[in-house]
Amino acid sequence: MNVRDTISRLQDFYILSVKATLGIVRRPRYFREIIEQMDYMGMGSLFIVFLVSLFIGMALSLQISAELSEMGLKMYTGKIVGLSIIREIGPVAIALSFAGRVGSGMASEIGSMILGHQVDIMRVHGVNPVKKLVTPRVISAVIMLPALTIIGDAASLFGGYYISVFVSHQSGAFYWSQIKDIMDFENIFAGVTKPFIFGYLIACISCYMGLSTRGGARGLRQATTSAVVYSTIMIIVSDFLLTRVLLIVWGSTV
Amino acid sequence: MIVFRDVTLAFNSKVVLDNVSFQADFHEKIAILGGSGGGKTTILRLMLGLIFPDSGKIFIDGQDITVLSEARLREYRMKFSIVFQEGALFDSMNVYENVAFCLREYTKFTEEEIEQRVRELLRRLNIEGAMYLMTNELSGGMQRRVAIARSLAECQPKMMLYDEATTGLDPLTADNICSLINELSQGEPPDRTGFIIVTHKVTDATKVAERYIYIRNGKIAFDGDIQQMRQTDDVEFRKFINELFVMEQCR
Repeated sequence: MNVRDTISRLQDFYILSVKATLGIVRRPRYFREIIEQMDYMGMGSLFIVFLVSLFIGMALSLQISAELSEMGLKMYTGKIVGLSIIREIGPVAIALSFAGRVGSGMASEIGSMILGHQVDIMRVHGVNPVKKLVTPRVISAVIMLPALTIIGDAASLFGGYYISVFVSHQSGAFYWSQIKDIMDFENIFAGVTKPFIFGYLIACISCYMGLSTRGGARGLRQATTSAVVYSTIMIIVSDFLLTRVLLIVWGSTV
Repeated sequence: MIVFRDVTLAFNSKVVLDNVSFQADFHEKIAILGGSGGGKTTILRLMLGLIFPDSGKIFIDGQDITVLSEARLREYRMKFSIVFQEGALFDSMNVYENVAFCLREYTKFTEEEIEQRVRELLRRLNIEGAMYLMTNELSGGMQRRVAIARSLAECQPKMMLYDEATTGLDPLTADNICSLINELSQGEPPDRTGFIIVTHKVTDATKVAERYIYIRNGKIAFDGDIQQMRQTDDVEFRKFINELFVMEQCR
């Protein structure tokens, strides 16, 4: 792909994202599609998010307990686990799982509609495919990813609690008091802001990849893979940028 | 009136249409013939403003549609209805929902009125019994019928566009679809609804069309009626329509 193509694709992606966002405030609104997508993204991802988060919390707690116990500081496991989960690992890990499951699903569904001329049929009948297909997915992802992140964070903290109390033999009450201490506005804001941005990026990237599908089954495979790959890259990059911005906003020194 | 003027289009440096020019009235019965990948379907997509030419103009009722925005194109797209190859039905919806799709999007009909209209259309096309089946439960012929029903649901188009409407169907079902196409274009010009059928099945084309356009290497190699087609001295075109001569000899 040459530079001209890359710039052209970036421009198309930008236009699609703007149109999808404007679709939120412009009629017609597709409430049925939004509810369907929320069900698919939210309820459909709940189990995988719960499982991934639980084991991440357990593994993190296990590792941190082992390191801190060497220094005689293992009672602070809760604080470090909580902070890592709420600010960083929770939003990123859940967004990555979400991109793998939902992002690939969005790209393949829209891609197969492109190949089957279903999107052309919408356009012929005057239905705007961005409003009908992209906007409901963006709205649903922006609502459901933060909700899943909150549930996933809770599962991770319970996983951490289980390891701290039953494996590392720490006080459960002290673990929760440490968690309570770090639950201030700054940390919660950082943990909740990121999923909104990640959800928006995943939905826009995946829908764009789906809508630009060309060339049969191979094209569909390429679109699905690209959706997951670009979403993953953008989650990691935007996480770094958001962390940097939030640290500057709160006046934290590095 | 549809006018293609010097239309050229290339995909990834492969020229699909090369300076194509023709004009057609909405009441005409036209078959666009040509080999696979020859740019036949591209003509339909250009006509609907789904894609735009690299150069040249496309006029629909005097308006150059290549300069129109997506919102303004709707007015011109409403003059047509298209049935894509294999129907292009929404596979997450059943037959009823597919046919009701446009009625729900763009009319203020109540659900009862929509059901009545859909039922009426399905009865007319002889597929009322399949109303609540999912599209993957339908045969190829039924899928085409549902696609035709959907294309007729919202409005009365001035011209129908059929993209390989009989491809992949057994001869009997293909014959039924041809009868249906004829039925939907009954009447005398200029009052009847015309159509453009894109196909590589010459015998099916001759069952429905009155004018034939043959596309070869992105150019119009033939444009005429059946008599002119029989008398053509273009060797390659004669090979393409050989099936027709065989059929006539058998008769």
